[in-house]
Amino acid sequence: MTSATNLPAADPSGRIHREIIQLAVLIAIAGAAFVLTRAVARANQRAGLREAAEWYERGQQRLAAGEVGDAIGAFRRAAARNRADRRYGLALARALATSGQEPSAQRVLLSLREAAPDDPEISVELARLAAGLQDVPGALRYYHAAVYSPWIGWPDRRELRLELIRLLLAQKQAGRALPELLAVSMDLPDQAGPHVEVGELFSAAGDVRQALAQFQRALQLAPRDGQALVGAGLAAFELGEYARARKYLDSAPASVDAVRSTRELVELVLTRDPLASRIRSAERQRRLRANMSYAQERLAACSPPPESSLEDQDLELRKALESFQARLRTPAIREQDTIESGVELTFQIATRLLQTCPSPEPLDRALIVIGRQHGAAEQ
Amino acid sequence: MSTLLRVDRLWLRENQLFLALTIVIGVLAGLAAVLFTVAIEQTSHRLFGLAPSALRLFAIPPLMSLVTGVLLVKFFPDVRGSGVPQTEAAYHLSGGVIPARVPFGKFLTGVLCIGSGHSMGREGPSVQIGAGLASVIGRWLRLSPANVRDLVPVGAAAALSAAFNTPVAAVLFALEEIIGDMNATLLGSTVVASVVAVIVERSILGNEPLFHVPAYQLVHPAELGAYAALGIIGGILSLLFSRALLGLRGLFLRLPQGSKIFQPAMGGLVIGAIIVFCPAVMGVGYDYVDQALNGGLLLKTLAILCVVKMAATVVSYASGNAGGIFAPSLYVGAMAGGAVGMVVHRFAPFPTAEPGAYALVGMGTLFAGIIRAPMTSVFMIFEITQDYQILVPLMVANMLSFAISKRYQRLPVYHALLEQDDVHLPSPAIEARATARTARHVMRTAVPFVPADTSVEAAYLSLLEQDAPAQLVGTRDHLLGWVTRQQLEQWRSAGRSADPLASMLDGEYVHVHPDHPIDVVLDRFAQTGGVLPVVSRTAARRVEGIVTLDSILKVVDRRARGRDPAPAGASGAESDPPATRPNRGPTAD
Repeated sequence: MTSATNLPAADPSGRIHREIIQLAVLIAIAGAAFVLTRAVARANQRAGLREAAEWYERGQQRLAAGEVGDAIGAFRRAAARNRADRRYGLALARALATSGQEPSAQRVLLSLREAAPDDPEISVELARLAAGLQDVPGALRYYHAAVYSPWIGWPDRRELRLELIRLLLAQKQAGRALPELLAVSMDLPDQAGPHVEVGELFSAAGDVRQALAQFQRALQLAPRDGQALVGAGLAAFELGEYARARKYLDSAPASVDAVRSTRELVELVLTRDPLASRIRSAERQRRLRANMSYAQERLAACSPPPESSLEDQDLELRKALESFQARLRTPAIREQDTIESGVELTFQIATRLLQTCPSPEPLDRALIVIGRQHGAAEQ
Repeated sequence: MSTLLRVDRLWLRENQLFLALTIVIGVLAGLAAVLFTVAIEQTSHRLFGLAPSALRLFAIPPLMSLVTGVLLVKFFPDVRGSGVPQTEAAYHLSGGVIPARVPFGKFLTGVLCIGSGHSMGREGPSVQIGAGLASVIGRWLRLSPANVRDLVPVGAAAALSAAFNTPVAAVLFALEEIIGDMNATLLGSTVVASVVAVIVERSILGNEPLFHVPAYQLVHPAELGAYAALGIIGGILSLLFSRALLGLRGLFLRLPQGSKIFQPAMGGLVIGAIIVFCPAVMGVGYDYVDQALNGGLLLKTLAILCVVKMAATVVSYASGNAGGIFAPSLYVGAMAGGAVGMVVHRFAPFPTAEPGAYALVGMGTLFAGIIRAPMTSVFMIFEITQDYQILVPLMVANMLSFAISKRYQRLPVYHALLEQDDVHLPSPAIEARATARTARHVMRTAVPFVPADTSVEAAYLSLLEQDAPAQLVGTRDHLLGWVTRQQLEQWRSAGRSADPLASMLDGEYVHVHPDHPIDVVLDRFAQTGGVLPVVSRTAARRVEGIVTLDSILKVVDRRARGRDPAPAGASGAESDPPATRPNRGPTAD
């Protein structure tokens, strides 16, 4: 006889046992599924990378063929499939900039920069883009980011700085360019070329003394470097070191127009300056008389138009010249004051001659240079 | 005593098991979503290659849709469309039971449909796949029905989290959309599963975000006006999209049953024609969304893509292909927002953000208007941008879009799609009162029917014979409506005695569902002729019982005697006096 009490009780341990096994099976399935899915995802990723490379190639071909629009589309697809390779994003940005879509190019580059803020190439592209948009502060910021990037080598750093300097000079911001020039001049290699390049930039920025120093360094490394000689000669001339300027210019290639004209000017300055050092008193007086005589001839030859504002000035200069020439016939010619006054007068006359003479003579300019060198100022 | 202790231990163990399963489901659903995404990409690549010809673009969608049409009709009838409404229906109406073929079928057909160029999203299918896996696992482990049901939103959240890489938004979506309520009990489980899934996804696919979005912000307070305008435009577009989708789908549903197998291919033909001229609307299209978010598209392109994508999605979905509308709503929103942003940026007299900011807000706005999940929309955009600053304009635009959509479209699109399939989801208010007395307690299941081809005269005589106030017309599985004695008299007087009842009824009628609370039953009963049909939520024309005055009085009597009535009603066929209200349509709550 059976009764409910004799029925075997349901054994929960069997159920627990089953659940543990099922859970273990599920975990094993999950593990296997993870491995499988990861393998499939990696294969897909590799396919995506290949596709990105193909699109990139297509883009390059389209770009070479002048089809910028198609190239942009191809680069966009490449960048979408492989965001990690910044070449694609950079190519896209460059293509966009080429097609005049600078804001879009900037957005692409800024997006790349978020992922790699220290990448100098991205910073350079942003800098160039900003320069194209006349955003000098922006360009400065990005060039600095590129220059100070830890991932950039020294030669590239220098080239970037020079690019920045050229930009600043083109934007007439010599004040900002000079510190950069000083920085770049600190690590130039021992070759004449870089020193000449930097010297020219210093000249353009208005720091002639630094320019001369660079040219001189270049000449130490390559004494016959034509560009260095020209640069040094012109720089020395600007600085009033005419003797040194003549030394450099005499060795510089004569084919350069500036060399010829400057050389002639330097020669005239050196041979007609009554206040030059280490010349005899007789030579001083001779030079002064010659300058006065020349000035008188030139005044006569280049009269201003009648009733012009310069006619009065011309009259005054003639009177002053006559009066001074009278002094030259007295012992006063030997006095320093007289000579200085003479230089001042010839400076004034030569300045006036530049305004009225249709084709100024080299000596006109030389007299002005001589006058300025000795403190004369335009009235 | 020892048995009681063991039961307690078993109960605790099921809860512990539930937690362990949450983690396992998070892993599996996450892997499924990743595999789904990868499979779609691979399929698309293999079908179309790098630069497909016009012929290939035109031919692939309809050809693949012929295959998927067979699969969807013959093997996987439950996997058409998005998957989100079906998941909701499974959760609310089927106790969370999702057959094993559903996740498998959805995966297969989803890959084929979306990979072959249909303009559909992958998130909705991922939700159904994840929910299906969770349901299958829960039933395999013989969890209680309540726990099986609760695993559905857990799986859904995990899959969405991995598919969209937004764990918080996925949790909110599961609570806001699937469950329809911020259920604290399930919050923890969905969070765990969502986090596990996103960890799995990122360990496989990397930490790359779905969209690379610059940091946008509100530039000038006056911009809020512009974003409000975007909200209004988004609301209108949401309405247009929903109405077009439901309208075209209704059209397809009314086609002969035999054409169902070819309907996906019909949609495929149209899609093929569209993508020949506008391949940008193929598939998911997140590449173009990314471009819009970064201001990389022209105004004309944005406007065209907005319109064409809407049209393509409507065609793909309405023709019965397997795929979602989640991603297309984001796409359309991004294009619309970008276009508005372009106009504002160009003409506004005050400083404005880049058009990409408007594209970002537009995404959320359309999502809030179409899907009607505003919380999910806000958090989704926040997770994409990782930035609070755009949240204020986003909330302004979302609120307006949501309000407009709700004002002019009674049901959210997912619920409306279910209603087209005669599936009526309970409202949260109804579910909250599910433990109270319901129609199930007062209905009786023995229901007489009069066949639809019965003449008016015969029906009238039958009513007289039974001395009934009204009768149901049709069969238990397909109710056409009900007729009252007064109606039949009127039709006889009008000389339509010989006409069949089917020709006199418009197919719409007042009804209740088994879980409707008593006050709703009484309210609707007053609108009938004395017979109120109780129909199933999963098939709104299938009769589960009827409520009559007699059955109501019996319940009242039992209560008075201190005995609660059993659910599913008493047996019997007592008749009730008729009322004179005309029939109304089978509509949801």
